[in-house]
Amino acid sequence: MGTPLLWRAFGSVSGLTRPRRNRAAGAASPHDRDRIFSADVKQEDQFQYAKTHCLSSYYSVFVARLAIMVMLAILIGLLTILTWHFTRSYTTKSLNGLAYGLRYELLQRPILRMWNILNSTVEITTAQVKLSEYVIRKYNKPTSQAEQIELYEMMKEVTWALFASRKALNAITINYRNGFVQAFHRDHRSNNTYYIYSDLSNYSITSSGPSSSEPLSSLRGWNDQSIHGNLSAIWYREPLDPTTGEKIGKARPILPDDLINIAGISQVPDGTATWHVAVSKYSDSPLLSAALPVWDPSRENIVAVVGVTTALYSVGQLMRELVEFHSGHIYLTSQQGYLLATSSNTPLLNNTPKGPKLMMANESQDPVIRAGAEWLKRTYGDNYPPSHEVHVENARLGDQHYYIDSFFLNLKRLPMVGVIIIPRKYVLGKVEERAFKTLIILICASLCILLIGCLCILILTNGVSKEMKLRAELISHLDARRRAEASSNYKSQFLANMSHELRTPMAAVIGLLDILLCDDCLTNEQYSTITQIRKCSTALLRLLNNILDISKVESGKLVLEEAEFDLGRELEGLIDMFSVQCINHDVETILDLSDDMPRLVKGDSARVVQIFANLISNSIKFTTSGHIVVRGWCENLNSINEDTKFSLEHKKPLCALKAKLLKQHGKTIIKRALNLKKDSTAILWFEVDDTGCGIDPSKWESVFESFEQADPSTTRLHGGTGLGLCIVRTLVNKMGGEIKVVKKNGPGTLMKLYLLLNTPTDTPELLHQENFAQHGISVVLALHGGMGRSMMSRWLAKKGVFTIEASDWNGLTQTLQELFHPRRSGSPNSSFRLPYSIVEAEMNLGDRIVAQNLVIVIDIALLDLSTEIWKEQLRFLDRYSRRVKFAWLLNHDTSNAVKVELRRKQHMVMVNKPLYKAKMIHILDTIVKETTMSSSDERISRSVREGEPHECLEMENIPFECVISSDESDTTEAANNAEARGDLQVEVSDQACYGKHIERYDVFNGSEGKFDEGRCEEQGNSGSGNPAPNRGKSLEGLRILLAEDTPVLQRVATIMLEKLGAKVVAVGDGLQAVNSLNCTKSADSKEMNRVMPGLVGTERSPTYDLILMDCQMPKMDGYEATKEIRKSEAGTGLHIPIVALTAHAMSSDEAKCLEVGMDAYLTKPIDYKLMVSTILSLTKRTDP
Amino acid sequence: MDVVQLKRQLIAFTELLFGEGFLDEQFNQLQQLQDENNPNFVAEVATLFFEDSERILNELANNLDKQSVDFKKVDAHVHQLKGSSSSIGAQRVQRVCIIFRNFCNERNVEGCLKCLQQLKHEYALVKSKLEALFSLEQQILAAGGSPSI
Repeated sequence: MGTPLLWRAFGSVSGLTRPRRNRAAGAASPHDRDRIFSADVKQEDQFQYAKTHCLSSYYSVFVARLAIMVMLAILIGLLTILTWHFTRSYTTKSLNGLAYGLRYELLQRPILRMWNILNSTVEITTAQVKLSEYVIRKYNKPTSQAEQIELYEMMKEVTWALFASRKALNAITINYRNGFVQAFHRDHRSNNTYYIYSDLSNYSITSSGPSSSEPLSSLRGWNDQSIHGNLSAIWYREPLDPTTGEKIGKARPILPDDLINIAGISQVPDGTATWHVAVSKYSDSPLLSAALPVWDPSRENIVAVVGVTTALYSVGQLMRELVEFHSGHIYLTSQQGYLLATSSNTPLLNNTPKGPKLMMANESQDPVIRAGAEWLKRTYGDNYPPSHEVHVENARLGDQHYYIDSFFLNLKRLPMVGVIIIPRKYVLGKVEERAFKTLIILICASLCILLIGCLCILILTNGVSKEMKLRAELISHLDARRRAEASSNYKSQFLANMSHELRTPMAAVIGLLDILLCDDCLTNEQYSTITQIRKCSTALLRLLNNILDISKVESGKLVLEEAEFDLGRELEGLIDMFSVQCINHDVETILDLSDDMPRLVKGDSARVVQIFANLISNSIKFTTSGHIVVRGWCENLNSINEDTKFSLEHKKPLCALKAKLLKQHGKTIIKRALNLKKDSTAILWFEVDDTGCGIDPSKWESVFESFEQADPSTTRLHGGTGLGLCIVRTLVNKMGGEIKVVKKNGPGTLMKLYLLLNTPTDTPELLHQENFAQHGISVVLALHGGMGRSMMSRWLAKKGVFTIEASDWNGLTQTLQELFHPRRSGSPNSSFRLPYSIVEAEMNLGDRIVAQNLVIVIDIALLDLSTEIWKEQLRFLDRYSRRVKFAWLLNHDTSNAVKVELRRKQHMVMVNKPLYKAKMIHILDTIVKETTMSSSDERISRSVREGEPHECLEMENIPFECVISSDESDTTEAANNAEARGDLQVEVSDQACYGKHIERYDVFNGSEGKFDEGRCEEQGNSGSGNPAPNRGKSLEGLRILLAEDTPVLQRVATIMLEKLGAKVVAVGDGLQAVNSLNCTKSADSKEMNRVMPGLVGTERSPTYDLILMDCQMPKMDGYEATKEIRKSEAGTGLHIPIVALTAHAMSSDEAKCLEVGMDAYLTKPIDYKLMVSTILSLTKRTDP
Repeated sequence: MDVVQLKRQLIAFTELLFGEGFLDEQFNQLQQLQDENNPNFVAEVATLFFEDSERILNELANNLDKQSVDFKKVDAHVHQLKGSSSSIGAQRVQRVCIIFRNFCNERNVEGCLKCLQQLKHEYALVKSKLEALFSLEQQILAAGGSPSI
């Protein structure tokens, strides 16, 4: 019964240990993970809690199961016991009743027989006595011998009659007073009947009996002696025929030993009947003998004693029969315990030397009887219950159980006890066997039920435990999720921290490089090295920003901003940057934007730049030679309508065109395009075309998946993570565009993409549409790269500018000679052999063209710089310098010597490679300006000299101002953009900054030669010329209010600003800042004559130009102060630029700063350069 | 000791400070800001830093000793300390400050106390180093050299 429970318990325990182990295993790995970050104690606690919780739930399930099972077991056990008890107890009870009746019956019958025997004995005895009385009365007082004999004969006859009538009688004896004895005896064993009589001679008829007065005392002595003791008497025995009673043998004297038991007068001393049990050697069973006296008629004297003995044999017989039928044992004992009759065949008498004697029941040879008698004696001893009745149901005799019942037969003078011993088996054997079987069946059944019940419980609770398990799993999942969230939090925190931590040193590096660049005691090599380091640092910063971008893109948090920017300029900047890389690779980078491209578009400039940067860098990576072309054209649906200004009829085909176009790109795009159409959406198409190794067509789609590269060897050969194109596609898709790889003729890859960008409708198209053809400009493109050259010449031709191409030095000289020498020789039929038919055709225009503006755009690479030949070549070109204008395309690594030489030779127009349209326009503009100036004033050299320092000055400002020399508005615009941008501010501003750097360096490089020359000249001219003060005092004259509570920072910032030439007033908190501002204002209003000493040094401007505001300050923090200031400004039209200073690098802080009305945002520690550029951009705007 | 030796020692010591991360580029910037107009600029700023830091550290200790810690206040102090330490370039102090602020955000008093201990330790370290640096510079000045490297 306990086994299934035990088994189950074991199962549960093992089930318990398993998840615990799992959890322990699970606990190890997150622990390791946690070690990366600071250990999170709380989390560990939670984890522990979850574990114990889970464990306790397991325990509860286990306990619940156990309880249910125990209850079931108890229930079934009770049922079993009850069933068994009821069935058994009732049967037992009824059976016991029956058995009792049976036993009673069984015992009753022999007792009744006994009773019968006794009765019949008594009857016979009485009859004999009556008859004897009668006969004796008849022969009263026999006087003679004859009479006496006659009497005796008579008695013999009568007695015989009686004796014969009762077969069961053993003997009848008549003992006369005179001692004569007559007896009939039947030997049952030998079936003989005898007549026994004593010798008459010894007795006289008139023998005097005992005196009547003393009958009793005399009787005793007489009787026994006369029979046993008186040996002188001779006894005779004669056999008789058992049926007739006739004498069949001779009478013989018999030995006294053979004498039968004869009742004497002694047995009836008081005249009443006596009973006793006797033994005889003729019978193996006890005899019941009864004695009655025969009184004389006067009833005064006993004349004879009649004794009747009856064998109890028949009782034994009956018992045997009964026992045979019912089994068991029955015996009868006298009250003293002598056996009278048994159901067994064992002898009842002890054969002692003195003759047979009665035996006690406990001496019986029958083991059962003996054992029963002994048991009774042992149990009750002599203290029988008063009625002598004993009913024992379960007495153990030997190895069996018996019923023992005894009944007491209370006969006067012969009380008897009957005992019946019946084996229990006989009565209840079958029942008990059945009961046993029933019990076994019941137990089996209950076990089965228990088993099934347990199984059911198991199955049922299994559901519960499964639920528990699921819940535990859920808990662990929640746990894991919480952990993951925590780790994600860590990650974002980490990234945020890192953005701060990484940018700070980078900014420091860049700033220090800037400081170093300002140093004037650097050699050129050092200078260029530092410039290179500066570039790399910027790139590294950009990389960091990109990494942060990627995480942003991946998390889907990327929000595109919507701000105006100059797409062309951004792309030019990109191309400039990448061309530096490409030149080393012998790869040409060409930007080919169609003229209808809108200059300003609305969108996220940083992301657009990122797209193209990724694409171009990707192309560069795989292109070893050839070219990379970035083409761009526009399908401005609305502007086409406007520009063409066609009538309404023409709009239909256009719409059809639009539909056709859009059909290619799916319905979503159509929808978007149609929605956006109203906002003058432009579809900007771009192609990035390279001549690299190309992409297998099967990979055209998959290259845009993350971590996917066209060729597994790519990483080995080119590095990279395979993230670039994925980011590109994500960004393009976000901008409502698509990107795909397109089949192209020839080697390489052609990526085609379009973006849906809004164009600001309110800004007029500032297309640079100066008609160069009007100025009669013709251009000789002496460029190395064929692709860019042909493209440029096509574009110029379209503009109406006459173009001649030359691919190398020889071609150039040839062209020049053919252009000029024929003219110089003066013969129109000269034999110049131009390979270009166009030239031939145009030559008809003759001298006028040549005389006007022939611009030779010449690539520095055409010169042989490796040797000194280039000087010769320059000298050769010099010959034409009066007639043509040279525009030099420089490489980024063109040495200073070359530049100096060029400048010396008055080649003033120099741009850096690559050449794109904006630069071309720039060149042509310059040329046109120059020519107009020279034509009007003829003082070319002077204008050049004026231009020089001007440019130099601009150059000097660059490192601090971050302003492109060409247009200031652009910077302001960029700053505006930067301010208008939302939460992407940190990255974007850096991006913008980065973009500016590029532009700046472009210009910087482009005019490096000029710069150097200018510097040299300046040094040469002034002698004391140290440009450093000029450079250092970029904030000259600015009045800055610094609100900073940390003294250290306050001091540092003050010194920094003062070094830059600014006047600084430092205050300790926001309240003071507001107060000082108000003071100056009030002072301002009062004619600003009262000067606040120490606070205001009013020279030119009474108020501050700018406020640097720490965000966290006592009394009033930066946000509050800014709000206050802005509030006070409201309505006055003033707007003091406020720059936030904060140690937080999070974009949310920045958003907060901008929200309260600050204009810009600087992070601590203060980056020297960034601070300057920010301040300048803000103050410039406010300054008229 | 002659000036050259002292200078070498100064350079080695400065390198050590940078190498072990006591100072960062910001300190260099500070040194560059020092010129004839502000001959003792770095020392001056450092002194300001010491005063400020000691005040803040005391405030922090007082605040954290209280039964109910005002984490906002503590955070503000730590923020201030972070700002000043980053300005002087004591980056190890600054790093501890960042950790400290994290604990502040978690409202973890024990972590804060631990951080305060660490902060004190780092501060003492950087103070002793800077003082050593300045005394070295003074020695050079006394020896008639110029401390600029």
